[in-house]
Amino acid sequence: MIELHNVVKHFGEVRAVNGINLTVPKGEFFCVLGPNAAGKTTTIKMIVGLIKPTSGSARVAGYDVQTQPLEARARLSYVPDFPFLYDKLTPWEFLRFTGQLFRMSDAAINREAAELVPRFSLEEWLNKPIEGLSHGTRQRVAIASALLHSPEVFVIDEPMVGLDPHHARIVKDILKERSRKGMTLFLSTHQIGVAEEMADRVGIIHRGQLVAVGTADELRRRAGVDGALEQAFLALTEEQEEVPSNEGVPRP
Amino acid sequence: MNDRVVSPLRLLVDTAVLTAWRRLLGLKEQSWFLLSLIGVFLVGYVALSFTLFFGGLRFIGRFPGLGGLLVERLLFLLFAFLFGLLLISNLIIAYTNLFRNRETAFLLTLPVPRQTVLQWKLLESTLVASWAFLFLIAPLLAAYGLVNRVDWHFYPMVVLMVGMFIVLPGIAGCWLALQIARFLDRRAFQVLLVAVLVTAVGLILFKFRPEPVTDEALETRVLSVIDRLLDNTRFAQFPLLPSYWLSSSVQSWSEGALRTALFFFAVLLSYVLFFGFLAMTRLGDSFYEASSIVHGRGSMFVRWAWFQRLEERQRRLQQLSLLLRPRDWLDALLAWRNLVPPDVRALVAKDLRVFWRDTTQWGQALMLFGLLTVYIINLRHFTRQLDSPFWISLVSFLNLGACALNLATLTTRFVFPQFSLEGKRVWVVGLAPIGLVQIVRLKFWLASVATLIVTLGLILLSCSMLGLDVAHSVFFAAAIAVMTFTLNAIAVGLGALYPNFKETNPAKIVSGFGGTFCLVLSFLYIVSSVVLLAVASPWGWRPDTLDEFAPAKAAFSWTIFVLGSVLAGWLPLRLGLRKVAVTEL
Repeated sequence: MIELHNVVKHFGEVRAVNGINLTVPKGEFFCVLGPNAAGKTTTIKMIVGLIKPTSGSARVAGYDVQTQPLEARARLSYVPDFPFLYDKLTPWEFLRFTGQLFRMSDAAINREAAELVPRFSLEEWLNKPIEGLSHGTRQRVAIASALLHSPEVFVIDEPMVGLDPHHARIVKDILKERSRKGMTLFLSTHQIGVAEEMADRVGIIHRGQLVAVGTADELRRRAGVDGALEQAFLALTEEQEEVPSNEGVPRP
Repeated sequence: MNDRVVSPLRLLVDTAVLTAWRRLLGLKEQSWFLLSLIGVFLVGYVALSFTLFFGGLRFIGRFPGLGGLLVERLLFLLFAFLFGLLLISNLIIAYTNLFRNRETAFLLTLPVPRQTVLQWKLLESTLVASWAFLFLIAPLLAAYGLVNRVDWHFYPMVVLMVGMFIVLPGIAGCWLALQIARFLDRRAFQVLLVAVLVTAVGLILFKFRPEPVTDEALETRVLSVIDRLLDNTRFAQFPLLPSYWLSSSVQSWSEGALRTALFFFAVLLSYVLFFGFLAMTRLGDSFYEASSIVHGRGSMFVRWAWFQRLEERQRRLQQLSLLLRPRDWLDALLAWRNLVPPDVRALVAKDLRVFWRDTTQWGQALMLFGLLTVYIINLRHFTRQLDSPFWISLVSFLNLGACALNLATLTTRFVFPQFSLEGKRVWVVGLAPIGLVQIVRLKFWLASVATLIVTLGLILLSCSMLGLDVAHSVFFAAAIAVMTFTLNAIAVGLGALYPNFKETNPAKIVSGFGGTFCLVLSFLYIVSSVVLLAVASPWGWRPDTLDEFAPAKAAFSWTIFVLGSVLAGWLPLRLGLRKVAVTEL
């Protein structure tokens, strides 16, 4: 569903992403972990087509993101860590707007919204301007609108930012449920607990490279630790310390 | 139930219209008095500019033998300059809209064709960049039509022509923004912008340099001045300029030469269709390419060895200075003799750095003040022609007004949004021991002192070029100083009274109710102050009283002027500070 073939991205003289190869099959819940400035967000931006790889290619649902962008994006949803919403619209208008951009019929929008709105506890806010909503509610609106068209691939950057424990649980449950139904998930996070709890496989990106991929147990074995995934993460990223740093790379 | 698929462009336009409508409805929450004041100002502006254009065009048109020619050339010139300004305005707005806009990034992740994203952003930028132009020329064209007693169909045709005309700078500005994004980074763009502005000002200085007029030439000066004027402004009639097609079409239509008018109309239309078609169908991929480059580029200068050496040297110096003295040159300058407390120093340094790094913003201010400087420098050549003290006095007061108006655009554009922008940084700035009220006060003093250097310099230059004596120079210097403090107080005060903490783009903060009110209040203050000072000028206006200084008159006018200034500046600043003291961020 998501295929990265030797993806490289340069920022001037610096290699922010340095030859990542990865395949995330249909229905897999894939979590990517990594320290700050490791190249996670750059990788995501190449998957969703926001920036062009310097070399290599990214495919989503079998479509090349660069040469067949519309086909790829029609099957994809992306929620960044601080999603854009139109402040003067209401959540309902925004849901409708995104549904229409994905060429959904009114009937389909209503049907999907009828399922998602109560699950994300948005009924109370549905007809109030987005500008007055809290960060957590905005985040829920963004995730609900991204799920509206039932994407085949869902890419999300730090989904739990701003969510209280109750709504974080709801989001986790919905994402897991969608994954079981066949949606491919690519989630980037700093919260190792989330990755450990949710992911089928975890990838660790460090200094622009995918330094380890596998289930939580496989990563622990590879790192030679028994405890929490956090220890494996620290051990695996420390191994790479001698590689030149990406610090100072401009954030796209 | 409607199940038809709506085109993405239509959806985006509908959303923008809905947003604009809701913003308009939001005005209901504002004070009716202030809304009425803005409404009266807008109507007053249109009425006043129409009256001035009407009187001016009629006056010039009656000039024996040359009236028609002068009006014609004026129109060519006006549209040529406006075309240039529209181009710059479109370039800046298109760049921001295409590459520094969260909506654009959001749309690029949706199944919206890149071409559609570009189409929408092009439409939006062109409208945002051109509304002021439309507002400016509507009274002029109405006055032109009335002076020439045109038929009714002139007016709808002119609307159509102007509507087509704004498309071309819109497309050119967008295309230039794409090229700049593809080939220049921020630092290179800053260097280029400064170079272009300096060259432009230099060219204008050279092109419009007046020649010395001898006594013999004074005898026939009208003809020679007009001859030179026509010669120097011939560039406005370059047949490949879109402004030439518009002016020719407008003028021919007003004269009843419909075939010629239709010819130029067709030329304009063909270019609009050709370039419009190219932009609407072919620029999408270039836009995506440029966007990808903007978001993934290091410094352009890195390719040169000299730059790498310079950077390396700076890095080493920085490391060394971190060990020895943790300052750069700006910090060192502000820390001179420890006159300024460290927290004040930090805020001043931060504000200066943010201002300098926002190239697109100060570029416009530099251009406005650059043009004003060119004009003032050229005044020295006219002092011989301006042999009557009456005219010299008039020009001095007009210069005071022009300088203050330029300053008002600067304070509204940069100073007004300052408090709103601090709202985003409240976690570090607002919670600092210095306190938010003190920070706002500091912003007032920093802006006032910084702008005073510019305005005082310009006014003293103007006095020197006009050959005014010390008393006159002190008079105008004191007037601009009072006005500088007042205009900054209005901007800082209203900025604190009408904050917008959600918006990160200063241009959008200014375009709200508070920004508009700030501009209107500044304008009213300037006009009333200059009129008061001029009408009650202590030197009088009658030729026989011009050299006699009247202390009583001076005391009277200055008392009203200072009191009015204090009221106009102190009141918004006081109210703003009171609001800041209780603001919950």
